Amino acid sequence: MFLQQLTNGLTIGVIYALIALGYTMVYGILKIVNFAHGDIFMIGSFLGLFFMQEFQLPLYLAFILSAAVTAGIGMLIERFAYRPLRLADRIVPLISALGVSTLLVSLAQKLWGTEMHPFPTAFGSRTYTFGSITFSEIQILILLLSILLMLGLHLFVTRTKTGTAMRATSMSLTNAALMGINTNRMISLAFAIGSSLAACAGMMVGIYYNAVYPTMGYMAGINAFTAAVLGGIGNIPGAMLGGVLLGLVETLGGAYISTQYKSVISFSILIIVLLIRPSGILGSKEINKV
Amino acid sequence: MKRFLSALAIAGLAAGLLSGCGASGDSQANRDTIRIGLAAPISGTQAQYGTAFKNGAELAAAQINEAGGIEGKQIEIVIQDDKGDSNEAVNVANKFVTDKSILGVVGHFNSSATLATAPIYNKNKIVQVSPSSSAPAVTNAGEYTFRVITTDAFQADYLADWSKELGYSKVALIYEQSDFGIGLLDVYQQSAAENGFEVVAAEAFNPGDKDFSTVLTKIKEKQPEAIFIGGFYNEAALIAQQAKKLNLDVDFIGVDSLYSEALLDLGKESVEGFKLIGFFYPGGDNAEATRFNEEYQAKYNSKPDTYAAYSYVATSVIIKAIQEQGAEREAIKSYLETLKDYNSATGVISFDENGDVITEPSRLTIKDSKFELYQ
Repeated sequence: MFLQQLTNGLTIGVIYALIALGYTMVYGILKIVNFAHGDIFMIGSFLGLFFMQEFQLPLYLAFILSAAVTAGIGMLIERFAYRPLRLADRIVPLISALGVSTLLVSLAQKLWGTEMHPFPTAFGSRTYTFGSITFSEIQILILLLSILLMLGLHLFVTRTKTGTAMRATSMSLTNAALMGINTNRMISLAFAIGSSLAACAGMMVGIYYNAVYPTMGYMAGINAFTAAVLGGIGNIPGAMLGGVLLGLVETLGGAYISTQYKSVISFSILIIVLLIRPSGILGSKEINKV
Repeated sequence: MKRFLSALAIAGLAAGLLSGCGASGDSQANRDTIRIGLAAPISGTQAQYGTAFKNGAELAAAQINEAGGIEGKQIEIVIQDDKGDSNEAVNVANKFVTDKSILGVVGHFNSSATLATAPIYNKNKIVQVSPSSSAPAVTNAGEYTFRVITTDAFQADYLADWSKELGYSKVALIYEQSDFGIGLLDVYQQSAAENGFEVVAAEAFNPGDKDFSTVLTKIKEKQPEAIFIGGFYNEAALIAQQAKKLNLDVDFIGVDSLYSEALLDLGKESVEGFKLIGFFYPGGDNAEATRFNEEYQAKYNSKPDTYAAYSYVATSVIIKAIQEQGAEREAIKSYLETLKDYNSATGVISFDENGDVITEPSRLTIKDSKFELYQ
């Protein structure tokens, strides 16, 4: 059973990681938690469903289109819900985020109805069994694609000029602007990348569980946020690590301790880690230089 | 300029807030329509059940209205959203009881909401008929509290007896962490013990959970012959699919919360062979159910699920009470107390002294992606 649960945990873990990246990038630059991010994940999933059902697009095209449109939506949200509040007290954009979250869910319910929709594809449903482990094609895709995306992001932020500019912006907004970096563009980019990753996660989740519904962003958002905090919020490798770790802890905890207390176990681990390392596993202390 | 704009915004906000106040007081103007309240989760995580409630209730009203209403007056269904939350439900209940034109309330959906609001309805002597609150505690919630669904105690007990008949010796339970799921768990475990078979595992999930791989992997180890899904049809479809992916080959059984087209749409081949008990089954012996099914499809272009049917029945009994005894809150209550052998879409129903319904379920199964009577 252990290997099977490990497989289960890893699959959930990489999905959490993808969504957590969005949280962590936005927090890194703007120091706000984008609570609407879970619902962006949901919108990405619905868009993928929409493109496949209404336009009969092939899966990969739906992926790309959904990611692109969701990136656009993410940037729009930033432009209208967060940018005007940039100079306000930190709690104000938080409330704005909650408003956006409610808006997105209600919009989805209005556009697509309140029920659960199946995802119209037979892709990835084949299963393979090795000894005691059974896994499906879609799980392999999820793992490979997630790792690929995370690797791509890591290379982007570390090796490219724009990526370095983004990192500079997250270190200090004002100083980056002084260095000639267009900080508004960096922020929009962070939202765009985070949202498109969430959209990819959304589509993969939609296919894997064969279920898309307007409130799916709620739990996913909370778990991904926890994962981001666990790994050190503001830290990109941290989000990846946090996601995988949370997925594993949740699954193994549920398997060996109790499924009733699954959430209790995950959040207790979070509390313990934060007590020992307040800035998360890979996070670094915010140094306030005077 | 800024101050003018903010003054304008405040005025607009105030106008918006105050416009909500006027509606509830004018009972005089509404004497020409018959107003029945509907309390349901129109938004939130359980919005789809709210939609089912709304459709069922409005169909019941529309049918009577088309035939001329009750003594010439049209029936109006007044919908309030309780978001599936007990606190919000209390607000909704207060709104209904203070509006003197509301004669009775169809609601709520969740047992927790019904239990939270029962004291309010009972204190203000207005009838509430819940289409779906099946927790055992609702039995003693008050003399103005009725329900058209049997208690979980009854359903789980019946299912356990049927499990014994099907010859299972090892059953696993996957239940929702809520009053509903835990209620089913408790009764089923007790009944299983009485019937002499073993419940080898009882794993929980949170409503809205999508991933059951942990739970199913654990259950696979115990090798049960059947899994009882103590939850709703969405999760049931996901459980069935994921079980198939894990090569877990078992029978699935459940109560009427599983009955819905959505189970078939979402589950496809993986729900083939599901066994469930149901009170709403069109195409069987119940002519009312078949009729309701056709009329629902004609109006809404989709097939009704159990909750739409229950809501339709709950609304219908209130309408019947008004037709027989007049448009008064107390008259409705005294009629419902004595209601016996009412032919409804969910069976022949009678209310007992606690406002609980007495009716016999059908045994159903899924064959060729359709619900059928189990032979």
